[in-house]
Amino acid sequence: MSDVWWAVARSEEVSQSRPLNADIGDQPVVLWRDAEGIVRALEDRCPHRRAPLSLGCVLGNGMIQCGYHGWTFDGATGHLEDIPNLKSKTRFPPIYKARNFAAAESGGFVRVCLDSKAAPPLPANETLPLSGTAQVTLGHEHFIAALFDDPSLVIAIRRVRFTPYLMAELAEQDGRLVLERSCQWATPHWPAPFSSDFPITLRIATDPVSGESDLLLRDDGFNPLLRATLAPVPAARGVTQIRWRARLESGRTGIKARSMGFGRGSPFCVLSSVDAGALRILKPSASIHAAALREAISTAAQSAGAA
Amino acid sequence: MLETRDVPPADDYVDPVSSDPKAFAAMVNSWVPHDIVLKDAWFPLAHGFAATEKPVRRAVYSQPYFLWREGDVAVAAEFHPSDRLTSGKSAYSNAAGRYPVIEKYGYIWCWFGNPDNAAPEHVPSIPYLPEEGGLPVHMLGTVRFDCTAPLSLENLIDLTHADFLHADVVGDEKMDKETVEVFHDSESITMVRTCVNKSVAPIMKWFGGVRADVQQVRQVIRIYLRSHAAIAYGRFSPGDNVQLFHPCVPETRDRTRLDYTMNTSNVKKTNPFRYIMPKASYKVSRQDSSMTSPQSPRYMNPEKRKDLHSPLDEAGQKYRVLMLALAERQARGDYAYRDNVSADCSELIGYDGT
Ligand code: FES
Ligand SMILES: [Fe+2]
Repeated sequence: MSDVWWAVARSEEVSQSRPLNADIGDQPVVLWRDAEGIVRALEDRCPHRRAPLSLGCVLGNGMIQCGYHGWTFDGATGHLEDIPNLKSKTRFPPIYKARNFAAAESGGFVRVCLDSKAAPPLPANETLPLSGTAQVTLGHEHFIAALFDDPSLVIAIRRVRFTPYLMAELAEQDGRLVLERSCQWATPHWPAPFSSDFPITLRIATDPVSGESDLLLRDDGFNPLLRATLAPVPAARGVTQIRWRARLESGRTGIKARSMGFGRGSPFCVLSSVDAGALRILKPSASIHAAALREAISTAAQSAGAA
Repeated sequence: MLETRDVPPADDYVDPVSSDPKAFAAMVNSWVPHDIVLKDAWFPLAHGFAATEKPVRRAVYSQPYFLWREGDVAVAAEFHPSDRLTSGKSAYSNAAGRYPVIEKYGYIWCWFGNPDNAAPEHVPSIPYLPEEGGLPVHMLGTVRFDCTAPLSLENLIDLTHADFLHADVVGDEKMDKETVEVFHDSESITMVRTCVNKSVAPIMKWFGGVRADVQQVRQVIRIYLRSHAAIAYGRFSPGDNVQLFHPCVPETRDRTRLDYTMNTSNVKKTNPFRYIMPKASYKVSRQDSSMTSPQSPRYMNPEKRKDLHSPLDEAGQKYRVLMLALAERQARGDYAYRDNVSADCSELIGYDGT
């Protein structure tokens, strides 16, 4: 977990005015923007009396001030810069610091790595305009397995129905777990088991560790209809927090594809509640080799690193 | 279980605060308040008015206390009168299942510990509360904290937090000078904070008729360690003095009940401060809870990392060490009071009857 970049927030959620609490597993994190607008991340625990720093405030100089006794920390280093009641300009020794984490922002996601010295991740080249945050009472690994086995339990795409049939089973591609699922339009149609061809497919490409997934919905002419990125992060108490961004592609042809743009709300979303009854009896099929594939990818990465 | 006899105080008693600085720091950093249960103490379990002929239930470290009145006399028992399952009686009550009780300062004080050791001189001194009680109910109130009692008390004795957390009630950190002095014995700790030209407390500005921008402040917090009971006495000039009794009863190791008395009978009857100030506890305690509740689980298990301290934390650090020293003595079977908590502390807290 320590060298993974977790997308713990969307850019819109992190501000210069209010600190934001997030968590990576059991590790609470506080996020905010400093005076230059750069995202900063510290442990959400004041080293003075253990109060959450996210209950404090961001000062005009971009530092974060604990709400309990006003200890003030620099975001880049976590170093303690001021104890207001002391009324002295002393410098504090280096151990006077909050634990700091590495933070990076790109593509509309804010990512945090618990290793403060980690090299930044490759920046994304675009920011998808639609976005949202969902929290599900489903562990990280189970969330991803459900996405592979039956996406309808965890996501919804307007006018689209997922079928049980795959065009390509889960396999490794460029270090990611990739599968492609056949879909139908959500209009009356010949039942999927008796359909010779399907009009659309959903390709899911998932990072083997973080579970960050790029979704691409295409029609049978290979025209992109919708793109989405969803970033599941293991949070406290087995909850998974999912930040997502999406874009409906322009130039969709055909009445059904065009109708994806009509209606209230977002054409894509991550569901915030999971039908536990349906989930329990969901067969692990598409996901069945996910663990072995992850294993193989990590072994390959290690031997590549050693070579 | 309880020792039936006290081990006499060891003559080689060393003051844990003034002894070796290394040992002191080690104790400060081994602070797991969740694990501390001190015995042989009086706890103010209810305001006097709360005890009637119908039993009410209270608790000290999950130990049940049922309080009611027989005639005028307050009694406390381990079992509800209609509960017949009296077989599992603890050693904290007598053969009849009754606890030692004293009614004083407007509270029903019950003894937690070996009943044979209960003695009236272990009820703490609270100079500004009438011994016979009888203050009007608008000066009394109940507040609960979702945290361990020592955290609530450490919060109270460290008043620098008030300038940030309670700035909208008691004023911010702006002042010319602040000094903190700390006194202690084996059973109590007293902190005196003096502020020169401090921003006037908004509550005094809005309701107390204080027109000035700054005031001179002398605040005293005195904690009776075993009883987890605190005196909070503030002298303000200009302004009225604040006389708060703040007992933090550990109902369980991590839940605290505060039946407070804010004696404002020193304030003119025509001054709204007399009626508003006791109600400020509702706001202030919510602000405290916002910090102490999330902290509390972080003090339930030993922490590898040390807390960082500032020179303003002297009182809090000493409080930790004195509590640990008491716990350590009790672990050795030494329950004796080395110092007298009922001796009048008016002079120490600077109370002159106003
Ligand atoms: S707990 Fe953060 S300043 Fe004291
Ligand atoms: Fe407070």
